[in-house]
Amino acid sequence: MSERSLIVPRRRLDRRRLRLGAAPRWISRLPALLWPLALPAIVLLGWQVATTRGWLAPQILPAPAAVVATLIDLARDGDITSNLAISLWRIVSGFAIGAGAGIVFGVALGVSPRLERFLGPSFRAVAQVPSLGWLPFLILIFGIGETLNYVIIAKACFVPVVLNTAGGIRNIPRQYLEVADAFRLTRTTRIFRLILPAALPQVFSGIRLALSHAWIALLVVEMLADTEGVGYMMTWGRTLFQIDVVLAGMVLIGIIGFVMDAGLRRAEKRLRRWVPADG
Amino acid sequence: MIRIRQTLLAAAVAIGSVGVAAAAELPPVIHFAGVGSGFGLPFGQNTFAVAQVKGVMEAEFAGTDVRLDWGYFTGTGPAINEALANGQADFAQYGSIPNIIGYANGLPTRILLSYGGTNIFAVARKDLPIQSIKDLRGRKIAVQKATIIHWALLKALQANGLTERDVTIVDLKNPDTFAALAAGSIDAAFGASYILPLRDQGIVKVIYSTKDGGAQATGFGAIVVTDSFQKRYPEATQRVVDGLVKAGRFIGEDENREEVLRIWAKSGVPYEIIAEDFAGKPLRAQTNPLIDDFYLAQFRDAIEFEKQQKLIRRDVDLTAWLEPRYLADALKRLDLENFWPHRSADGLRQSAAN
Repeated sequence: MSERSLIVPRRRLDRRRLRLGAAPRWISRLPALLWPLALPAIVLLGWQVATTRGWLAPQILPAPAAVVATLIDLARDGDITSNLAISLWRIVSGFAIGAGAGIVFGVALGVSPRLERFLGPSFRAVAQVPSLGWLPFLILIFGIGETLNYVIIAKACFVPVVLNTAGGIRNIPRQYLEVADAFRLTRTTRIFRLILPAALPQVFSGIRLALSHAWIALLVVEMLADTEGVGYMMTWGRTLFQIDVVLAGMVLIGIIGFVMDAGLRRAEKRLRRWVPADG
Repeated sequence: MIRIRQTLLAAAVAIGSVGVAAAAELPPVIHFAGVGSGFGLPFGQNTFAVAQVKGVMEAEFAGTDVRLDWGYFTGTGPAINEALANGQADFAQYGSIPNIIGYANGLPTRILLSYGGTNIFAVARKDLPIQSIKDLRGRKIAVQKATIIHWALLKALQANGLTERDVTIVDLKNPDTFAALAAGSIDAAFGASYILPLRDQGIVKVIYSTKDGGAQATGFGAIVVTDSFQKRYPEATQRVVDGLVKAGRFIGEDENREEVLRIWAKSGVPYEIIAEDFAGKPLRAQTNPLIDDFYLAQFRDAIEFEKQQKLIRRDVDLTAWLEPRYLADALKRLDLENFWPHRSADGLRQSAAN
């Protein structure tokens, strides 16, 4: 017993020394931070080996350094910034339209069982057709132009937002609604003070899904029916048989998608903090 | 992976007996790639189509185990460049613009012969007051960029005192062009004869054709072979070129005209459209395979165009790219040296014409 009581403080001391010592905390977390980078490093190494050994012709797989050089070139010429600005503007506009309308429609479906029975099945059937499937038809209606981009992106956002909003509302615990009934809340108060906050986490999952759908839809429409934007930059690279431009586009898309998703994850975490745990 | 397989194969040949080496003179399969018309049919146009359908190429390899594989790519030039790069194609027949793009980016091809010219048309929406190229000022024109049609568009503008800054050029693929014209989101478009059915549907009117623009305005391309194939199989390469020249002779003989047009219609482009495309022109001149001064001048012009348009990042040494000896050999052996007209650089004068 006495021995143990001696040991414990020493351990505490050690721990304290670790914390106060020369090595800051992030060093001890370094392995954990580096772990997710291991796979990209292996892929990069394999890529480099494949190109230096000439396993694939440089016209098919250019060296990583060549792709980085192309990225820098494109950034310097302003190709990346102008195309990116165009693509991001399309995302923001299409997303605002699609997600905004999606929340309204989703709340309507979630709140009114009658509307759900009337519109729900048709909506779910139509939603099965992916954005790409709509493209030939929408090109005929809207022609080639910005309207087409906005419509396709808005459609891509609309569906997951509607489904998640309606689902989130349907999942609200019955007791909440019973309390609202007991208080005889008006419809407006019910929607804004109870239903929306309670459904918020799932609405937000819908929004996150919508943004990733929007990003995919944007690239598809840009690759097929646009003359500007990051997706078009890649198609153009393919046309010019400059695969380094295509790969540079892929790197860019990956980075932006990752940043957008990480941003939304963080926002979601923050939101969850002020939503009741069982909401 | 293809490289590894080829290296292994080469090693096996080197180690093997003389008999193995002799067998390696002919490849087991030869892949041909041409431009598809977008109808999903396993037939194309120009020289390849006749060499395939008339069995001319098969005859060249009769009695051997060589399999011939004809592919027509709807993705046109860019897809053909990719096929040449990954070993899906050994011989390819396609427009000079993607041709040059491939070569300038290090695709190891050699030019064997020409397949002749392609007529290019400009169409405008029927409801607009556009009667000629000059009326295109300030208009929105669709074209698939980095193709021979893009080149022809800029040539036509230039001949009419316009530059690309006077118009808005929209880069669209063919089906999208049709849709955009129908929806009214563009004013005009350039294309080969595949665009003419749109006129028959009453959507557009034809305002220009390279048939009125002279030889220099006409689209053109090359039949190429991958350098590795012609180095490894010179015998097979010669047989292929022989077959193509014989197909060219068949096309050029007036009595076959009707049959040739029918063969090209197998690509899915209606017969009437093809007949109109070539109306009033002898096929022999239209499908001249010669690498003469005119052809070289056209190719130099296209290279210059690509540099100006920043489609290529490097200069192209045309002389090093050409491999005319197979064609010269075939013409001599088949006694066809004077079958086709040899044209001067401006395309106006012809010598040794038949």
